[in-house]
Order: sequence, then structure tokens, then C-alpha cells
Amino acid sequence: MEVNGQLALTVLMGVFLIAVAAWLARVEDWRSYTPLAGGGTVGGTAEQYVSEEKPSGVIRWLTTVDHKDIGMLYGAYALVAFAVGGLMVVLMRIELADPSMTLISNTFYNSLLTSHGITMLFLFGTPIIAAFSNYFIPLLIGADDMAFPRINAIAFWLLPPAALLIWAGFFPIPDVIPAQTAWTMYTPLSAGVGSGNQMNAGVDLMLLGLHLSGVSATMGAINFIATIFTERNEKVSWANLDIFSWTILTQSGLILFAFPLLGSAIVMLLLDRNFGTMFFSVDGGAILWQHLFWFFGHPEVYILVLPPMGIVSLVLPRFAGRRLFGFKFVVYSTLAIGVLSFGVWAHHMFATGIDPRLRASFMAVSLAIAIPSAVKTFNWITTMWNGKIRLTTPMLFCIGFVSNFIIGGVTGVFLASIPVDLVLHDTYYVVGHFHYIVMGAIAFAGFAGLYYWFPIYTGRMYQVTLGKWHFWLSMVGTNLTFFAMILLGYGGMPRRYATYLPQFATLHQVATVGALILLVGQIIFVWNFVQSWLEGREVQDGDPWDLADDDLVTAEWTWFERKLETAVTDGGEEETELATDGGQTVDDADAESADDA
Amino acid sequence: MDEAPGLSDQYRTASPWPVFIALGIPISELGLLFGLFPLAVGGLLLFGGSVVGILKESGYVTSTIRAVTALAVIFLAFGAGLAFTDIALVTRGYAVIAAAILLVVGGVVFELFVREQRQTF
Ligand code: HEM
Ligand SMILES: [Cu+2]
Repeated sequence: MEVNGQLALTVLMGVFLIAVAAWLARVEDWRSYTPLAGGGTVGGTAEQYVSEEKPSGVIRWLTTVDHKDIGMLYGAYALVAFAVGGLMVVLMRIELADPSMTLISNTFYNSLLTSHGITMLFLFGTPIIAAFSNYFIPLLIGADDMAFPRINAIAFWLLPPAALLIWAGFFPIPDVIPAQTAWTMYTPLSAGVGSGNQMNAGVDLMLLGLHLSGVSATMGAINFIATIFTERNEKVSWANLDIFSWTILTQSGLILFAFPLLGSAIVMLLLDRNFGTMFFSVDGGAILWQHLFWFFGHPEVYILVLPPMGIVSLVLPRFAGRRLFGFKFVVYSTLAIGVLSFGVWAHHMFATGIDPRLRASFMAVSLAIAIPSAVKTFNWITTMWNGKIRLTTPMLFCIGFVSNFIIGGVTGVFLASIPVDLVLHDTYYVVGHFHYIVMGAIAFAGFAGLYYWFPIYTGRMYQVTLGKWHFWLSMVGTNLTFFAMILLGYGGMPRRYATYLPQFATLHQVATVGALILLVGQIIFVWNFVQSWLEGREVQDGDPWDLADDDLVTAEWTWFERKLETAVTDGGEEETELATDGGQTVDDADAESADDA
Repeated sequence: MDEAPGLSDQYRTASPWPVFIALGIPISELGLLFGLFPLAVGGLLLFGGSVVGILKESGYVTSTIRAVTALAVIFLAFGAGLAFTDIALVTRGYAVIAAAILLVVGGVVFELFVREQRQTF
């Protein structure tokens, strides 16, 4: 039996390798017969790419190293992950509609809980940001492509195997069950110690997948740092670098310091589980894991929130008819958050009994990090103040972002205070706090970006009414669900349970209704997105948002305009001014207000 | 086909290698973690071969043989570390060593036969 298995594997592996080699030979042939196409990527049209430099069909997507294609791949991947993670949590919320165990078993609930968290943070959050940054950073800074286009492709292609490994426990593989460690993977549970079932290979597979997604994020980060430092057009200086690029640069710095640490901690955990090391099973091992995990984990939450803040800082002023108020301070606060975020991790460990003096210092820094966050919030509000607000769908999502971020941030400040945290730790209050940010803010900014740039990457316009429905259902759903959780937390409802005492039923039901409203909203989104992509009105104008009226055009729209023009006239290339969003003072917006496209 | 396939000073927007590098890493990791010899060897071969391919394509190395050998030496050292030290993960060590040897063999075969043939096109 053993030998047979090995033999089968060998044959399988051999056949696979031969298939790969044969396929490569074909691709190489294709390449050698293709006449060398003209150089860089600036100024060409999409059509030209396809016919001149890229193969067509599936092979094009498998072999592309063009930053825009890779951005699209990231986007598609992230949205699929969002759907998977979302459906997981819908099941959980339905289970929670009544106090006892009804629809799914408690262990299955725990599995879903674990996968939902990891899927949303690592397979949706990080990739959706990478979708925007890959597509737009080179355009915004006037670069031909990323500094290392092939590394860029490798980073993306690591993600599908990562997802398969993370979800492997749900597949019908004999003897493999899903991990039930929660996304924080606290030892000793995740080390497989004790009488539980977490020694199962499903946990190892999940850890490997997580490790892989970390490798991918690190590769991407190195690429962005190199790109922003070395590939800028000479007209783009540090002084007028746009705000989104600033946040991506800071985020990449955070990734560079945080993710390798997670990777190492995961390897240590895998060694503990499989090779008899004792990193986390000796005295203090459990606390060691928490320190390592949260030293990564807190920067991770800012890795996830900084670029969405950048998207909002970029998009919100376009529909307020003026430049971002206090641009410099928004950049400084981004950098400040980047530095401070490494000094707060133990606020996740206030209840573990660590030294009170340490605790106090982490409380101080945690309170301090609220200041740069507030600076940004005030700047967004001031940008809108007396502005010429146009309530387009992307703008609505931006305003929703600000509103939800305020609730998420303020609840965070309370948690940062030790005495309050000791009461609220491990209750639904914490769940409410961070969902206001991850769903209410990060996902909202993602939607803002998806709608705002929809004309660029599809060449079409989405359906406005459906966009509005999507926003309002998301806004109402988010606030119902997560405000109910904050109240549940005040009431003492502990987090991560599949069942609860009857006294919590009403608020849980409110949260479930909210989640279902969210579900309806996202179904509308998918419909709108797909249908408009296929059949929407084609965009003829390189400036569909009428940004030029307020002198707010940015480089990616200039690029788009040129692309539309060359598609029509196939004319020569002319150098266009790069319009950046940087460093300028606010001037009065006086142009006409344009209506929602 | 020209001497250095792929990127010379021309910029291309397609490459076949990234997918296979990205597949090679998890396959070899799975093989090494769970001690599945064929997966470990196959994954490392896929990874190593693709790394050499991509380096060649982008012009970072000129000689296939030298690149393959350099990679094989790294694998050998790692494999020997696993197999012959106190770590004593013998099967896994041999898997890495086997991959190193096969990689060199593959490189030589490619250099002697495949590349020759192509040049006659
Ligand atoms: C205004 C600044 C913020 C402060 C002061 C703050 C404070 C805190 C504190 C003290 C906790 C620990 C609660 C506990 O477990 O007892 C916590 C949890 C958490 N926060 Fe925040 N937070 C802030 C902003 C954010 C942001 C921007 C994000 C996300 C992007 C975020 C995501 C999270 C997450 C995911 C958790 C829960 C982790 C877990 O236990 O699973 N927070 N926050
Ligand atoms: Cu934190």
C-alpha cells in the first residue's frame, strides 16, 4: 500500500513534469516565431498588446507580466475570495440566528470562522489592494511597468495554490479536516497539543498556504518599493508623488518588516507540529507565539488599511471639487502610522498577564496612534467642507468609509485603554470594532476604487442606480450587523462561539438580518459588475468624471484618454503632462458641477 | 530562435515561467513537509528549472549549465544538511539531493540536444 502510493505519486509527478516541459516547448516556439514587438508599454493600446506582444486566450493570462493584466488577475482573485469568505460567514450568521446548535455543527462553525478570517484578510484584503496598486501605480508615477515584471507575476501565481491549501480542509480529502484555530492560531491549540483534533494535516496545509501568501506579499512589496523609488517619470518628484503611491510605499515597508516574521513564526509552528521542536511548547511558549503573531498582526491591520486610506484620499477630493486638504499632513500621518504600528502589538495581549509596566507603555503608544488616524479623518472632512460634493457611487463609498472608520477608530481607542479592554477583551465588541474597519472601511474603499476606475479597466460605465443600491444596502447592512455586535460585547457576549445564552438572541438576530442585507447588496454588485462589463455603455470620453472641470485630472486618466485617442486615430505618441495629486495648496473650486455619470 | 530567448534588449509582456515557479514552491514544500519523496523531487525540479528559465529569459545569466549547476550546489548543500547532520531528516535530505542531481542532468540534456535542435530552425 505504502509503496503503491509512492509509485502512483511518482508516476503522476513525472507525467506532470513532462506535460509542463511539452507545454513550455510549445510556448517557446510560439515566442520564437513571433516577430519582436515594439518596445515598452506606454502609449500602446490594449488591442495592440494582444495582437503584437501577447498570445491570446487563456495562455495570455497565464503568461502575462504586464502590470495591468496582473492587476486584473489580482482583482478577479480577490473578488472570488470575497465571495467565498462572504458565503462562509452567511452560513455562520444563519446558524447564529438562534441560540442553540441547529444548522451546522459547532466544529464546522469553528472551521468556517477560521477560514473566513484568513480568507478575508489574506486572500481578499491584501490582493484587492494589490489589484489597484499593480494597475495604477505605474500609471500614476509614469513608469513603463513594475521594476520586476516577472517577480510580479510570480507573486500573483503563488496565491491560487495558497488559497487551495488554506481551503484544503473543506475538500473531500480522506483524513484531512479544516483548521479550527481561528485566524490568530494561538498555541498550544494550533500546535496540536492535547486531546483535540488540531494535530490534523488540514492545519499544516492551512499554515503552508498562509506562508505562501506571505511570500507573495513580500515579493510584491519589494517590487513596489523598487518601482516607486526607481521607475518614476522625471516629472514625478517626491514632492508631488500622489497620495495613493505614498500609502502603497508605506504599506510595502510594513509588509517588508512584518510578513517575514509571520513566515518564520509559521515555520517554527510547523516544525513544532511535525519535527518535534519545542518552540511553543516550553514554558512561556504560548506567550511567545502571541508576541510573534501580534508583532506581525498589528502592522498587518495597517497594511490593510493604509492603501484604502490612500484610495479615499485620492478619490474623495475628485468629487468634492477641490484638492485634498492638508496633503502634506496626510502623507506625514501615513508615515507616522507606519512607524507607530510596530509599537502597539501588545494591546492584543492586555489580558494575558504580561508585566503591567509593559502594558502601560503599549497603552500609551496605542492611544498615540489614534492621533495620525484622526488627522486623516479631519482632512477628509475638511476637504468636503464647503466643497462641491457630487454624490456619485465612488463618492458615496468614500463618505461611507469615513463614517465607518470613525466608529471603528473610536471603539479602538476605548480598547486601547487597559481597564476598558480587560472588560471587553474577547467579546463581540472587539469583533464589532475591527469589522467597522475591515468591512466598513477597507471593503468600502475597495468598492470606491472599483467603481471609480471601472471605465478605465472595462472601457464601459456601470449602472448608476444599481451602484447606489449596492452602496445603501452595504451601508445599512454594515451598521446593523456591527453595531449590534458592539452592543452584544457590552452585554458580555464572548466571541468565537457557535451557540449562546438566550438573552443575546435579539441582538444576534439583528446582526444576522444585517448580514443578509449585506448579502443582497453584494449580489446586486456582482450583477452590476458583470453585466456592465459585458454590455454597459461604452465610454467615449477620456474623462468620464469631468475631472478637468475642476483641474483635478490625474495621470491614469490622462493615460486612458490617450489610449482612447490612439484607438481611434492610431496616431503617434505625444508627451503629455503628468498631472499629480501632490503638494499643492487648496484653491477655490469654481467650475461647473457635473452630474453623476 | 535567437541565442537568448525572450528578453534581450526588447521588452516583452509575456513569460511562461512565473506560473511554474509559483507551482514549484508549494509542491516542493508539501513534499518536504509530509515526506512525500516524489512530490519533493518533482517540485524542486519544477522550481529549479523554471528559475533557470526565467533568469535566462531575462538575461541575468547566459549559460544554462552554469546556472543549473549553481542552483544544484545550493540544493546539494541544503539536502546534505538535512540528511547528514543532527537534523537527520534522511529521506527528505535525499529527495533534495536527488533533485539537485536530476537538475544537472536535465540541464546537460537540454544543452546538448534540445538547444542544438532548435538552432537549426
Ligand atoms: C485607531 C486606532 C486603533 C486602535 C487604538 C485599536 C485598538 C485595538 C485594540 C486595543 C484591540 C484589542 C482588543 C482585544 O482583543 O481586547 C484591537 C483589536 C483589533 N483591531 Fe484595532 N485599533 C485601531 C485601529 C484598527 C484598524 C485600523 C484596524 C484594521 C485595519 C484594526 C483591526 C483590529 C483587529 C483585526 C483586531 C482584532 C484582532 C483579534 O483579536 O482577532 N484596528 N484594536
Ligand atoms: Cu492592534
